[in-house]
Amino acid sequence: MIDNRPIDFGQFWYSLGKELSEIPVAAETEILQMRSTDFADLYGVHMSSIGPYKIYGYLSVPKGDGPFPVIYYVPKNASVLEIIPQGTSNQIRSRYITFSVACRGMRTSDSPYSAMYPGQLTDGIESMSTYVYRGIVADTLRGLDFLLTCPYINKSSIVAWGNDNALLAGALHGAVTHIVSTPSFLYDSIQQASQTSSYPLEEFNDYFRLNPEKRDEVSKILAYYDLKFHASAITAETLIMADHEGGLHDSKTLSEFKENMSGQVTLHTSERSSYRDGMFAEEWVTEKLFGHDVAPIVPNHWKSE
Amino acid sequence: MGVDRDYKCRVIKPDDFNEFWGLVIDELAGIELNIVCEEDKLRSDENTTVYQVFFDSLDRVRVSGWYSVPNSPKERLPAILLVPGYQSDPPIPKDWSAKGYACLSINPRGKVRSRNQFDPGYPGLLTHRIVDRNTYSYRGFYADAWRGVDFLLSRKEVDSDRIGVAGSSQGGGLTITTSAMRKEIKAASAGAPYLCGFMDAIELTDTYPYQEINDYLRTNPDSSEQVENTLAYFDGISFADQISCPIIINIGLQDNVCPPETGYSLFETIGSKDKKLFEYDGHGHEAGRYVHSAIIDQFFDEHLKR
Repeated sequence: MIDNRPIDFGQFWYSLGKELSEIPVAAETEILQMRSTDFADLYGVHMSSIGPYKIYGYLSVPKGDGPFPVIYYVPKNASVLEIIPQGTSNQIRSRYITFSVACRGMRTSDSPYSAMYPGQLTDGIESMSTYVYRGIVADTLRGLDFLLTCPYINKSSIVAWGNDNALLAGALHGAVTHIVSTPSFLYDSIQQASQTSSYPLEEFNDYFRLNPEKRDEVSKILAYYDLKFHASAITAETLIMADHEGGLHDSKTLSEFKENMSGQVTLHTSERSSYRDGMFAEEWVTEKLFGHDVAPIVPNHWKSE
Repeated sequence: MGVDRDYKCRVIKPDDFNEFWGLVIDELAGIELNIVCEEDKLRSDENTTVYQVFFDSLDRVRVSGWYSVPNSPKERLPAILLVPGYQSDPPIPKDWSAKGYACLSINPRGKVRSRNQFDPGYPGLLTHRIVDRNTYSYRGFYADAWRGVDFLLSRKEVDSDRIGVAGSSQGGGLTITTSAMRKEIKAASAGAPYLCGFMDAIELTDTYPYQEINDYLRTNPDSSEQVENTLAYFDGISFADQISCPIIINIGLQDNVCPPETGYSLFETIGSKDKKLFEYDGHGHEAGRYVHSAIIDQFFDEHLKR
């Protein structure tokens, strides 16, 4: 498993953490009345990340006395920053602090750098110093730094939720206690890309078609971000949302990754239904954070009665 | 939660609906397309040429798209106008070209590459200038999708008698409005249609993006009547009786974004005699995509390929 892991892998990530620690979070928050409700207040949060670069997030805080468990929606590989993911019951904001962050390039964090989708995943990939993803990981970690400054969070219940970045957050930041992740583009990226024509992985195929001589160099760069080399650092209890059997990131593909993770892992094979898969994730999180006796908060059309 | 298949949305088509949209169509017709179509060598491959496309739309807003064409076609091609979801980024439609279609994946105003002159953001688009039908965001947004048909008609490699439209979620809603307003559309596939039965949807769901309207009404409680009046002009159900081409609709009965009740109500209103509804129990907003995509392929093959 550890073949091809860069020899300075630890140093690379240590230096990122150090660089980040030297930049104050410098958060500025503003209440967003229009998105606040009788059960939760919504804030816009401006923070500093490496560069320095200003990034933005949506923080929702339940009314009432904390501390509250946290769902941290990590930056996406898409342009739009959502308050909570589309289709999630808005009532979830009555139970959890939710925090969603736009990494550099996404809307609301796109000045001066505005990413293209597709495009972000290979932006600057010609060299270690120009590849955008180091900054994206930093932005992901910065969101957790900000959360730790909030007095009303329950530090024993911080869920990182989303794509590959949720796993990186768990590997690189000690605040994460639980992870719900759907790996899509950072696990063995080049090998996986060779088996698909779907974006975002198709970005790598596009890049190599035009720049075939760059393959070795890009492979070396991507190794720093490859989830398989981060597996052992993940101690948080984790739910991996795998593809359906035969899919690109199915349980077979991810089995070795799962085995190498240090924390307890549940691997859910997609039932090719956003309803069934979504229910599984909501039930998993609710059980882990509240136990068997508490019902998950789900959208109206997912309720049995 | 059981779904009422006989559900009827409360929207009433305004008496001056055709007049309102007729003026928009007239205005659009007076604006030159000014097409720029540049090959994107990074995204093209041995089978497909991909172009970045830009053209002018309503209010002279410059909108963009990805246009994908199979390499070396032997004859004029059938074409698909691919219309996007609400917050997703419009895809590069190489998969459609692999199936033998010229395909324009349009980025209406406010989306990536179409943000320079209009950008209410997300959340935001759904309620932008919602108290006035003449300035509501979707007046231009719908027109941008229709303008995509004009782009396809301008292409010499496209057979103008074989143009279809497809999309899911907001793309489903845009499929409804586009197939209603552009008679050049010969076949349409709408998945989990959004923008249909707005005022019902905001009560049936508790999720974004429809929550944007609830957010707006909570902070602007006196605007309720104006909002409902505006939305009646933009509701897919108000457009649906004007659809005459073959059309298929797919809905998920556990759809947590676009409530299936609105899908049933929409389907009842569609004017085409050649219409079919596919219901997927046990499925959410993806509306049975993994099964249904083969049905969509077969549908367009049947109607657009000779």
